[in-house]
Amino acid sequence: MADNDAIAQLMARCVLRDQRAFRELYRHTCAKLYAVALRIVRREDWAEEVLQESFVNIWNHIAEYSAARSAPLTWMTAIVRNRALDWLRRPNLEHGDEDYDLLVEAVADDAPGPELILGASRDARALAECLKQLTGNQRQTIILAYSHGLSHGELARHLKQPLGTVKTWIRRGLDRLKGCMDTSAAG
Amino acid sequence: MKYTNPQFRDAVSAEYVLGTLQGAARRRFERSLKDDPRLRQLVAQWQNRLAPLDELVEPVQPPARVWRKIEDRIVRAGPRRWLSDMRFWRAASFISAACALLLAVYIVQQPPRAPETMVVVMSGDQGTPAMTVSWPVKPSGKPKLRIRVMGHPDMPPGTSWELWMLPGSDQKPVSLGLIGTAPTQELAIPANLAPMINRATGLAMSQEPAGGSPTGLPTGPVLYKGLCTPI
Repeated sequence: MADNDAIAQLMARCVLRDQRAFRELYRHTCAKLYAVALRIVRREDWAEEVLQESFVNIWNHIAEYSAARSAPLTWMTAIVRNRALDWLRRPNLEHGDEDYDLLVEAVADDAPGPELILGASRDARALAECLKQLTGNQRQTIILAYSHGLSHGELARHLKQPLGTVKTWIRRGLDRLKGCMDTSAAG
Repeated sequence: MKYTNPQFRDAVSAEYVLGTLQGAARRRFERSLKDDPRLRQLVAQWQNRLAPLDELVEPVQPPARVWRKIEDRIVRAGPRRWLSDMRFWRAASFISAACALLLAVYIVQQPPRAPETMVVVMSGDQGTPAMTVSWPVKPSGKPKLRIRVMGHPDMPPGTSWELWMLPGSDQKPVSLGLIGTAPTQELAIPANLAPMINRATGLAMSQEPAGGSPTGLPTGPVLYKGLCTPI
């Protein structure tokens, strides 16, 4: 992606402590990353906190980014996701989880998601193809966990399944996904 | 726990990226990541596999305050911008040269003696003097700053003016307190700063949120600044 090249260049300047480049980096990526945080913590004030913490982390650890390992946006997204997941797992965090039911319904559809198939990148199409190989339950639990930060327990509760069953769906689903994606990458 | 079994390593990496590895197990895994580059590699592979799921997210513009808070936290860690701003030093050197000239004339006309008063002519970016601050070098009684503000400036609602002492080239500004826009004012010098203020290199005044800087360091724009001159 051309966007990734622009981001990589900005990141290189940030390593040299160029604050103007960091501002540009923020401007380029904040809407996407805010949306990622919002999808997991589902409260605007929390997502703002997560975004703020994440960017301070990104600034402090930008020298550790390795282009050989992942695309810049993937690296930044991982930091935001981790921060958002930590936020959700804070002790004493009160959050109503009634609307998880709605989420679960929304993802219950057996289709791998038309957006993913139409997704811009080749990676997205490869993932969509491989998600199709999973059972509906495997696919649903993986997407809910990744996209919305649902835990094993939350998944079990909202899917009304025993915890062990949900864990097995996820484990087998991930295993199958990896097999499929490695084959498609090799082929 | 050691992550030795290759299948187990990969499975745990996957659940870490997915987000379902939680609590103590997640913390433990993160600790192992620090000194296990191969494990970091597995994590990166899973991030790459699942990253397309983030492509679907519809971007949402965060409020502007988020960037301001980030900037606050990263900029403060680095050098203050206005201290490295050439215009500041150019204005400062111009003013100090003018003061030195006045001082030279003064000294020639006077028998030598120790300076009695410190004067700071403070100006904005344009270099026009906007405020003066002076104080006795050896105060009798409680030390006070005498402040004169020129030109009846406006202070936007919800903001405060905060006066800062610049102790030296490498040291951080120290707050002297909040001031107003009145033409003549006095401000008591905080007792802990009284011994250092005669050694200050200059003063600066910044616009801060109402009640002053929340951080103890200038956060808003520096409106006026100037160097200390003993006379």
